[in-house]
Amino acid sequence: MPGVPESQLKKQATQAKIAAESKTAQLTAKAKKKSDKKEFIVSAEKYAAEYAATEKAAIDARRAAKANGGFYVPAEPKVALVIRITGIIGVSPKAKKVMQLFRIRQIHNATFVRLNEATIRMLRLIEPYVAYGIPSRKTIENLVYKRGFGKINKQRIPIAHNSVIEEGLGEFGIKCAADLIHEVITCGPNFKQANNFIWPFKLTSPRGGFSRKTKMLHYLEGGESGNRGEEINKMVKKML
Amino acid sequence: MAAVRPLITVHSASGAPLPDASIPLPAVLTAPLRCDIVQSVFRDISKNNRQAYSVNIHAGKMPSAKSWGTGRAVARIPRVGGGGTSRSGQGAFGNMCRGGRMFAPTKTWRKWHRRVNVTLKKYAVASAIAASAVPSLVMARGHRIGDVPEVPLVVEDSAVSGSKKTSQAKDVLTAIGAYADVEKAAASKIIRAGKGKARNRRFSMRRGPLVVYAGGNDQERAFRNLPGVELCEVSRLSLIQLAPGGHMGRFVVWTAGAMASLETIYGASGKRIPIPAMTNADLGRIINSDEVQSVVKPALRPPQKRLRKKNAITNIKALEMLDPHAASLRRKSAAAQAASKTKRDAQRASN
Repeated sequence: MPGVPESQLKKQATQAKIAAESKTAQLTAKAKKKSDKKEFIVSAEKYAAEYAATEKAAIDARRAAKANGGFYVPAEPKVALVIRITGIIGVSPKAKKVMQLFRIRQIHNATFVRLNEATIRMLRLIEPYVAYGIPSRKTIENLVYKRGFGKINKQRIPIAHNSVIEEGLGEFGIKCAADLIHEVITCGPNFKQANNFIWPFKLTSPRGGFSRKTKMLHYLEGGESGNRGEEINKMVKKML
Repeated sequence: MAAVRPLITVHSASGAPLPDASIPLPAVLTAPLRCDIVQSVFRDISKNNRQAYSVNIHAGKMPSAKSWGTGRAVARIPRVGGGGTSRSGQGAFGNMCRGGRMFAPTKTWRKWHRRVNVTLKKYAVASAIAASAVPSLVMARGHRIGDVPEVPLVVEDSAVSGSKKTSQAKDVLTAIGAYADVEKAAASKIIRAGKGKARNRRFSMRRGPLVVYAGGNDQERAFRNLPGVELCEVSRLSLIQLAPGGHMGRFVVWTAGAMASLETIYGASGKRIPIPAMTNADLGRIINSDEVQSVVKPALRPPQKRLRKKNAITNIKALEMLDPHAASLRRKSAAAQAASKTKRDAQRASN
């Protein structure tokens, strides 16, 4: 009776090896999924405690200052959210360059910007073209949840799962959405990488319209442009 | 090539295989089957027995026609001069004129013949001989070889040289199962379509078996009148007969002497057998061999399919994938809201 041809035996052997490898890969993936979930819950709770603690500390400091008759000076904001509110026609070259550097090349694009002396001066150059302010934690969360896309291999990949964040920022210890949001809001040591990973948010035009006299004026003059501090969160809610 | 050659049985004139007369397969029957070379060489070679044709060199240029020029309310074509006949004043010389010279009169010095490299011609013949040993190719060419006991079909020498009458030749072919092809040729004889029927090519017919013998050509007499049958001495096999129409795989009936002499004609001191480009043409085996697979890069994986973005603000399953802690909080608050709502409804109902 003729035996099994050598080529068939070889093929069977390679197929069996592939099957075994895929099985082990499946098991490790499953185990990782389980351990990841635990890890993410733990870190999220840790961050929640941290946010509560900072808030409480600020409140306590303010109360103590009032009691002592002194002044409580809150910390300078570390991160701003910058939204471009004008088109690309007729932009002056310096402002054009600055907006390119901030990655807000398109109308209603928004990015986080670390606030230091240099970037504050840059924001002054682009004031007539952008609206910016200090985003709250909820705003940052909502932006990532609804409009969050990451830059992986130069491609714009939706942050639909924590694996996307791990793929992009795993080497910096940022593995889940909570880690990413924490890094942005506290402007941590890897803020540059975390912010660059986040593709510029593509927001919609504000529902209900720009409510002021004209976009072109500064917010303080009754327009929309420039620094509006905490009010930016209301604006983002309309543009999310 | 292969060190051990398969044996070809020699059949007697009555069709029975002769027990100790087997011939080992000659090397030329394992030559590479290059249908492209056969086709192009056949095409060029079949141009070489053409006769020139052309129109008369003076056709349409005889009259001394001259254009009347403008101003006479006629076209400016040269017109035949003179008078007294209806021909005078008629247009001449142009291809559009009645009785004028044709466009681009055909010339005898057209290039009728094609030269083919001698090596290519030899390559083609070797390929065509090899193709005649492949039954599928012979069947594909259209020969009726269903009853033939073996391909290549070898018959003892006396079957061909000993046949003196056509009836004997017919019996021999019937005994070895080759007569079906002859019948096919006979049945296909029709008056040719086209002008060829009036130019000494009245009938057209399929080709039958080619009988190849060794020795003198007075062996041809018995077989030559059978429809479709052609005969050829083994030392002067021609591509026109081995691959009619440029299609390899003519049905060949060899005599034992002819088959044996193929080994000397295409032997060490004879004609060269072409070398195939690949010694091992089994691509599947090569690709799956250990030597290749051990150095081959891993197969490309299709690009990873990304999950579609769902709004984690409204979609709790999407939130689960991004922040399980927040998702559990949202679930708890939703449950608490539902519980308090039922409590309120119960209170209102009881009021």
